[in-house]
Amino acid sequence: MAKKEAAPAPLTPAVLHILLALSTGERHGYGIMKQVEADSQGKVRMGPGTLYGSIGRMMEAGLVRECDKRVDPEMDDARRIYYELTSVGRAALEAELKRYRGVVAVAEGRLAYGG
Amino acid sequence: MAAKVAGRRYRAWYAMLLRRYPRPFHERFGEGMEQTFHDLCRERRDAGQGLFGLALWVFFETLAGIVRENTNQMSQMQKTVLRVALVALGLLMVPIVASRLVPGWNWPVGAFVFTYVLFFGTGMAYALIARKMGAWSYKAAVGLALAGGFVMGWATMVHMSETENPVNLVYFGVLAVGAVGAGLARLEARRMAWAMYAMAAALAVAFVITQVLATDTPAGPVWSAGAMHGGFVALFAAAGLLFRRASLAGLK
Repeated sequence: MAKKEAAPAPLTPAVLHILLALSTGERHGYGIMKQVEADSQGKVRMGPGTLYGSIGRMMEAGLVRECDKRVDPEMDDARRIYYELTSVGRAALEAELKRYRGVVAVAEGRLAYGG
Repeated sequence: MAAKVAGRRYRAWYAMLLRRYPRPFHERFGEGMEQTFHDLCRERRDAGQGLFGLALWVFFETLAGIVRENTNQMSQMQKTVLRVALVALGLLMVPIVASRLVPGWNWPVGAFVFTYVLFFGTGMAYALIARKMGAWSYKAAVGLALAGGFVMGWATMVHMSETENPVNLVYFGVLAVGAVGAGLARLEARRMAWAMYAMAAALAVAFVITQVLATDTPAGPVWSAGAMHGGFVALFAAAGLLFRRASLAGLK
């Protein structure tokens, strides 16, 4: 008998936002923070503690990786560490969005029947 | 100019705060976090806003992260100790708050320390014994026995401080029966059941002894004392039955 594959666990909001922020390309910590703020229309404000704690766990899970350290052309000064999505991270993001679409479909169906 | 000085000061404090992270985390992300904080400060400054609110938020948010990362680094045993210590502290808040609100409740500091040690000791005993066995009946039995022993020991101390009647020492003998029994049983479920039955029987004997010998104190109605003792006897007997159930389930 084939072993049933376990469904991936839902991602935490912080992890989902970071994956979304990195889905369009590499970013450094501050860049991720600003992208999350923009993606959520300012509703999600992530501090360095949450951001880097989540990045640490995501790196352990193989969802993101450090790519290189370089100067941001828009920000002058110091060299920054950039992060990027891995293929596992992209797959996790797609799976999560699929899960969300399923939830939304169920919710809309229920609301359409008034109940 | 003042904002730049404040920014430098906040960044120095933030760098110090970041050293509270576990070393591997700090080595990996410390520089990036400092840089990010620096970027946030600059953004605020460029917008002509003060840094105090931002610094306060980031410091608290980072502090929460430090607690989380340090907790993740702890071994299971350290986590257990921390949990028990916090629960004991929560329980200690009851007498601390009560001493502020109830007139005449004037415990010295030593009494609070002693109470905390009792809460912590009982909690650790439960955590260490119960985690050896997976069965709910064993855990429930340990919980019942410890809670019953704790309340009985506490009530005896309070009663002795009020009456100064040495005959009440017999109740510590009951607790000793339980402790020695558990030691001889080596925490094995079937033998623990017998230790609990012995404790229940010892308590019944202690009740008879105190009723016969305690002539110097104004005793309340015998039925009231009997009901209270009966409750404890039933509790220890119930713990014994739960240990028995655990042993029948093939657990040690």
